[in-house]
Amino acid sequence: MSDVIFSTWRGEFIDNRDKSSDDEMSKSGFKLPQDYTADVNSKAFIGWDGVAIFNEDVDAVRLATEYAAQYQIYSEACGRCAPGRWGGKILYDLLDKIARGEGSYDDVAHLKEVSETMMSTSKCEIGKTVPKPILDLMNHFEAQFNKVIDEQIPSHHYNDDIKYIAKVTAPCTDMCPAHVDIPAYIEGVRDMQFADSLVATRETMPLAHTCGRVCPHPCEDACRRTNLDEPISIMELKRLGADYESDHGLLWQHPREPKPLRNDGKKVAVIGAGPAGLTTAYYLALEGIKVDIFEELPVNGGEVAVGVPQYRMPIEKYQKDIDLVLEMEAVTIHNNHRVDAKRLKEIDAEYDATMLGFGARLSKKVRAKNERADINGYWGAIDMLDKVNLWTKYGIGSTASNELKDKTVVCVGGGFTSMDVVRCAVRDGAKKVIMLYRRDEKTIIRNTTYEEYHEAVEEGVEFIFHSAVEEIFDEDNKLVKLLVNKFELVPDPNGGRAQLVKIEDGDFEIDCDFLIPAVSQAADLQLLPEEWDIKLTSWNTLLTNGKDYMTNRDGLFATGDCEYGPMTIVNAVGQAKRAASVISRYIYTGKVSLTDDEIMEDHLTKLKVYDKNEKITGWIPGIPREVSQKLETNERVDNNKEVNLGFTGQEAQDEANRCMRCYYISMVAV
Amino acid sequence: MGKTIKVTIDGKECVSEYGKSILEVARANGVYIPTMCYLTKTLPIASCRMCVVAVEGVDGLILSCQEKATDGAVINTQNEQLHKERTNIMKLYNVNHPLECGVCDKSGECELQNKTMEYGLTNQNFTTKDIYRPVQKWGSVSYDPALCIMCERCVKVSTEITGDEALQVKFGGYNSTIINVKQDKNYKSLGEAAAVCPVGALVDTNFKYSANAWELKQIPSSCPHCGGGHDVIYEVKDDEIYRVSNHAEFSTLCPSSRYGFDFQNRGVTKDIGAFNGAVEAFKNAKSIIFSNEISNEEALILQKLKEKNGYKLISPQAKAYQDFIASYSSITGKSLFSGSVDEIKSSRAVLVVGSRINDDAPIIKYAINTASKHNRSRVIYMHPIEDKNISNIVTQFIKYEPSSEEMVLALLVDTLLRDKKLPDNITALIKSFDIGNLSAESNVSEEELEALSKSLINKNGLSLVVGADLYSHPRAKNIAKMVGLIDKYSDFSVVVVPPTGNAMGIAQICELDDKIEGKSIGINAKGDFTLSAMGEGDLDLPSLNQQEGTLVGFNKRVVPLNVVLPYGGYTLNDISNELGLNVKYTIDYTQILPVSNGFKEIEFDDLEDYFDNSGNEFRGYLLDSVDVEIDENIEEPFESDGIDGAVIYNCNPAEHTSQFTNKSKLLKSDAYLVGSKQFGQVSKLNDGDMVNFTIGDVKFQRVFKIDTSLKGIIALNPTYDRGLSEALLSSYRYIRLEIEKV
Repeated sequence: MSDVIFSTWRGEFIDNRDKSSDDEMSKSGFKLPQDYTADVNSKAFIGWDGVAIFNEDVDAVRLATEYAAQYQIYSEACGRCAPGRWGGKILYDLLDKIARGEGSYDDVAHLKEVSETMMSTSKCEIGKTVPKPILDLMNHFEAQFNKVIDEQIPSHHYNDDIKYIAKVTAPCTDMCPAHVDIPAYIEGVRDMQFADSLVATRETMPLAHTCGRVCPHPCEDACRRTNLDEPISIMELKRLGADYESDHGLLWQHPREPKPLRNDGKKVAVIGAGPAGLTTAYYLALEGIKVDIFEELPVNGGEVAVGVPQYRMPIEKYQKDIDLVLEMEAVTIHNNHRVDAKRLKEIDAEYDATMLGFGARLSKKVRAKNERADINGYWGAIDMLDKVNLWTKYGIGSTASNELKDKTVVCVGGGFTSMDVVRCAVRDGAKKVIMLYRRDEKTIIRNTTYEEYHEAVEEGVEFIFHSAVEEIFDEDNKLVKLLVNKFELVPDPNGGRAQLVKIEDGDFEIDCDFLIPAVSQAADLQLLPEEWDIKLTSWNTLLTNGKDYMTNRDGLFATGDCEYGPMTIVNAVGQAKRAASVISRYIYTGKVSLTDDEIMEDHLTKLKVYDKNEKITGWIPGIPREVSQKLETNERVDNNKEVNLGFTGQEAQDEANRCMRCYYISMVAV
Repeated sequence: MGKTIKVTIDGKECVSEYGKSILEVARANGVYIPTMCYLTKTLPIASCRMCVVAVEGVDGLILSCQEKATDGAVINTQNEQLHKERTNIMKLYNVNHPLECGVCDKSGECELQNKTMEYGLTNQNFTTKDIYRPVQKWGSVSYDPALCIMCERCVKVSTEITGDEALQVKFGGYNSTIINVKQDKNYKSLGEAAAVCPVGALVDTNFKYSANAWELKQIPSSCPHCGGGHDVIYEVKDDEIYRVSNHAEFSTLCPSSRYGFDFQNRGVTKDIGAFNGAVEAFKNAKSIIFSNEISNEEALILQKLKEKNGYKLISPQAKAYQDFIASYSSITGKSLFSGSVDEIKSSRAVLVVGSRINDDAPIIKYAINTASKHNRSRVIYMHPIEDKNISNIVTQFIKYEPSSEEMVLALLVDTLLRDKKLPDNITALIKSFDIGNLSAESNVSEEELEALSKSLINKNGLSLVVGADLYSHPRAKNIAKMVGLIDKYSDFSVVVVPPTGNAMGIAQICELDDKIEGKSIGINAKGDFTLSAMGEGDLDLPSLNQQEGTLVGFNKRVVPLNVVLPYGGYTLNDISNELGLNVKYTIDYTQILPVSNGFKEIEFDDLEDYFDNSGNEFRGYLLDSVDVEIDENIEEPFESDGIDGAVIYNCNPAEHTSQFTNKSKLLKSDAYLVGSKQFGQVSKLNDGDMVNFTIGDVKFQRVFKIDTSLKGIIALNPTYDRGLSEALLSSYRYIRLEIEKV
C-alpha cells in the first residue's frame, strides 16, 4: 500500500486531488517507491503501466516531457524500428515545445496520433508503453497542459532543479538475481551478432557459458510470453554468445574495455574462486581494482567445478568463464591456499575489503538412526561429487568407479545435488541407483527441472517417492542395508497444505553398498574469528542486509551460498556483482552506498515488474517453445559427454523471435 | 518444416506448413502485404513494422514477417486501422527525408518513393532538427546516411549472406546509422548489400549519377564467370552495360558477375578473310584447345566436330574436373555430386578440403556463411594456407602440407568411416592405412582429427566441399574415389566445386583429351590459329554476353544466356556449318544436349527464367544425375614427397576468375605475387621486388607484395591477367619454384 495523490498504476485509478482530509484519500494497492531512500521522498513515479503522483505540486507537463526524454535516451541506444526511432524523437520534441511555452493544440493532436502508432506498431514494449502514462498525464492534468499552451509560458517547474532518475528494465531482467539484460542478449542472437549477445550478458554476468547451461532460470517464471503461451527458453539462448566466442577463438568480449590497473595501493581479497568470488573479482577488475583470490583447492570454479558433473557443465566451457576472470590484469589467484581464522585476520588487516565467497560445502545429515560419517559406505554428496569431478575433469585422484562399479547406491535428496549424485553413480557403473525422496514427482520437478528428472529416469535411476531412511545398518562398520519408511500425502480436510503421514506397515528394507545424503549443505564457518562476533542468520549463514552485502564487520562482505545458504549460481553472481559495486566505492570512502540505478533496481523488484494477469496484445499465441536436442540415453549413459547439444541456429532464431522485448522505462522525480 | 496448417487470409483459404510466417504464406498465395525492410533470403528484420496484420481473436496488431502462421488463424491484411498505422509509419519514414528525388540514383526504382505514392502522402507531416550526415565512399559502394531509412537489409546481407560482416548498425535512435567496420578491406561483396537497399542510401559508386533507372533496359542472363550460373540482369542503354542487377531479394551475385560485366567483344564486323582462314585452319588442325568460357552449345559444336573430324579436345581444367567426377562417380554410382549449394546453407557442419573457398567460389563461401549463421554450423577448413578472411565462420582450421591431399583424404576416410558399416574390402583398405605415418607426412595431427570428429555431434546436415586443389593433383583419381567413399558411406553430402566458367558444362558435354596433337585451334586460348572473344585472336568470337545459349552452374542447373549486346562478327556455328554440321542457329543445339548425361530435350526458347513470389528459382532446368558403373577399386595413398621451401599457389582473388573479368573496367587490375613476410624472407624478396618465374609454358613477371594477414611460406599467384595463355594453366596449384629476382 502506498500513499498517493494520484495514480493510474496497473489499471487502478486514484485521484485524491480534491479530497479534503486524509480519511477520504484512497491508497494505492502497490508498493510504489514513495520514499526514494530513507532520507529522500519521491515526488512522482512514472512507468510503463501508469503514473503515480506523491506530491500535490508536481509539474505534469514537465514530468511527461522528462519521461519522453528518457525514452529518447533509450532509443538512442536502439532505434531499431521505424515507429520507435522517429516517433520517440517527435514525442519528445513536441512535448518539450509545449512545456517551454511554445506549443499549440495541433501539437497535442500530433502527439496523440504519433502515440497511437507507437503503441500499436513499435518493436519493443518500451515503444508500446511509453505513450501510456504520457497520455494519462495529458488527460488527467489537462489544465496544466492547456495553461502553458494558452498563455505560451513555460510549465511551472520547467526551469527548476528537479532530479529525474530513470531505469530501463524488463520482467525477466528484474526477476533474474543477476539482472541480466536478457532482451539484449536475445536480440544479439536474433541479429546473429553473437559477440554483441555475449557482451550484453557479461554486463552483469561473467559466467555466460555456465549460466547458459545449468541455470535454473528463475527469469523464465517472469517471462511475459507465459501469459500468451509458454515462456521463452531464456537460459539456453545465453549459451550461443559464449559458444561463439570459444568456437571462433575471439579475444575476450568484455562489456567495456577493462580499466588499467590502478596503482593506488587499494586491494580487495576474495575468499573462494567459485561463482561469487569470480564475479566479485571480475567487476572489480573491470574497474582496474586489484583483487587477490584465495582458493583452497588446486582447481578453480568452486562448487560448479567440483560439484556439477561434466555431462551437465563441461569443464572446458566453464574454464572459459574462469579464465575470463583470472586473465584480467588486476586479478591474482592463489590456489591451495586454505584460509582459516588466523589467516582471515591477516587478510582482513592487509586488504581494504574482503569478500567471503566460500560457499556451503558441508553435507547435512539425513537424520537416521545409526547415521555416522565413519560408516564405510556412508558418503556425503559433496565429498562424492568432489571425487567424481576431480577425476573426470582434472585427472586428480582416482575414478569413483573403483568404489561404485556394480554396487547399489542409495541417495537421499530431491534437489540438483542429488540428481548429480545419482546420474554420476550411473556413469560410474553402479549396478543399481535409487533416489529416496520425501515428497512426490511434481515437487522434485519443481525443485530441479523437468529435463533433469526425466533424463535421470531414462538413465535408469529408480525414484522412490514419499520415503525416508529411518535406520542405517552396518556389519563391521560396513553399510549393508537401510530401513526406509513410506509416507502418504493426506489432504487437510480444512483445505490446508497436505500432510505427509507415515504409513504403518509401509516400512521396507534396501540392501545397498552406499548411502549418499544429498539433502542440503551447510556453510563451514570455522574461518570466522570468534572475537569478530559475526552475525549469522537462523540458517547459520552470514548475515547481511541483502542490499550491500556487508556483514556486521566493516569491510567484510559475504555473497553466494555462505550468505544465502545453498542456492543457485545466478544468485551468487547477482549478489557478488552488487557487492563488487559497493566495494568499489567502500574502499575509497569507507562507506557503503548504492547507486541510483541499484536503488531503482531494488524499488522495481519490490514493486514487481512482471504481472502474470496482464493480457498480451500484438503477438500471435500458440507458438510453442523450442526444445534443444539431447544425446540419446544410450549415447550418454556410460560417458561424460555433454547431454544437451544446445539449440541449432534455426531453433535459436525461432526461439529468439518469440521474445517480445518487454523493455520498460520507469522514472522517479525527487 | 512442420505439419500442414490451414489459414484464411483476406477470406482466401491457404494451405501451408507450420514454421512459415504469415507473410510467407500470404506471398505464396498471392496476397499482398506491404513491407519496407523484408528480404526473402534473410531471416525477418522486423524494423519497418509495415507488415502488421490483424488476426481474429488476437488483440493488437501482429507482425506478419516474424510471426508464424498457426493452424486455423483467420488473418486480415487490409483494414482501416492497418491502413492508418501503415500510413503513419510512412509519414515517419518521410521525416526529414530529402526531397531531391530528381538527383537521387534510386529514383524510379525507390521503394520509399513507391510506398509514399501508394499511401498518398503529399507532404511531410513531421519534421525535426536534423544533423549533418556526410556521404561516405566504401570502395565499390557509397553510403549516404541522409537517405538511409535504417531498414537494416544491408546489415543482414553482410551478416547472413556474404559474411563479410563489414556493415553494422550504429545505434543512435534518430541518429542511427550504418557503419562499415572493415573500411580497410572494402570487400567487393558490399555490392550485395547495396543491391538490397530500398532507397538511394547504399549505391554502386560507379553507377552513381550515370543514368536514370527507367532509361535502362534489363536483360536477364546467367553468371558467366564463377561457375555458379546464378541469375544476372544486365542493365543496358545505347549498347553499353551500365550495371548488373539481380533478383536481390532472393539471389546473390558473386563479385565477378556484379562488377565484371563489360567483357564484350567490341566493334567486331564480319571479316571474311579471317573467317576463311579459320575454316582452313580447322581443316588442317588436329586439336582444339579451349578455355572454360564457352557455352554448352559451343561445347556441343566442338564435340560434334570431334565426332566428325576426330579432333583432340583440350580443355585442361574441365578435363581434370571431368576425370575427378568420373572417379568419384565410380564409387557413388551417380554422375553428379550428391550435395548442393542449398544443402550447404542448411548444414550443421561443413568440411572444406582443397580449395581456398573464399577466393575460388564466393557463392559457396556465402552458403557456408549462411550455414554458420542460421545453423551455428561447424565449419572445418582444411587447407595449407589459413584464410583470415573467413576466420569469422571457420570453427576449426586444419593445416596440411601442400601435395599431401591424398593422405589428408585417407585420414578423413579413416576418421569419418571408422565406425560405419562397410564392405569388407573398404574395411580392409582403411585398416591398411598407416595413420601415424599419414598424420606425420600430411602434418594433420590425430588430435585435430579427433576434435573434428567430436565436433560432428549431429549426424544430419553434413556437407563436404572439395575444390580445385584436388582435381589437378597427380593422384586425383584416387583422391576422387576417397571422396566418393565418404559420400557413399558417411552422412556427408558432397559438393565437388567445379572450376570457374562453364567447366561443369564442358565436362558433361565433351569427350576431352589429354594431349595436343598436330596443329591446334585455340578458342579463348592460344593455338596455331586462335579464335577469341577477348578480341586478340585471328578471328573474333562473341563473348558470353553477346550470344544466346546455356551454361551449367554448380547448383546443377542448366541456365540461359541472352544477347545483351549486339555482335557483328562470325560465330563458332558459322564455322561448324562450313565444316558440314549444318545447324541454323547455335541455340538449335540446346535441345540436343546429351540426355545421356542428364540434359533435357528442351528448346532454348522454352527455358523458364523467373523466380516465384516465394523466391523459388525457375531458371532453365536441373540436370539429372544418371547412373554410372561402380568400380570400388581404390589404392592406398601414395606417400608424396611434399614440396619444400617457398611455394606458389595459383589463386585468383574472389572478384577475378579469368581473362574476361580482367577485361572489365571495374575489375581490371594489376596482379601481384602476394606472400607473407616469412615467404619474403625465405625467398629473399622485399615488398615491391620484381620477380620472374615459369609455370608450365607460361612465363610470369610479377611484383612481389607482402600481405601481413598471410602466414607461412606459400604465396598467392593470380592467373587472371595471363590473357589467352591463362587457359593452359592447369597444373597442380602448388608449385615449388625457382624464383628469379629481376
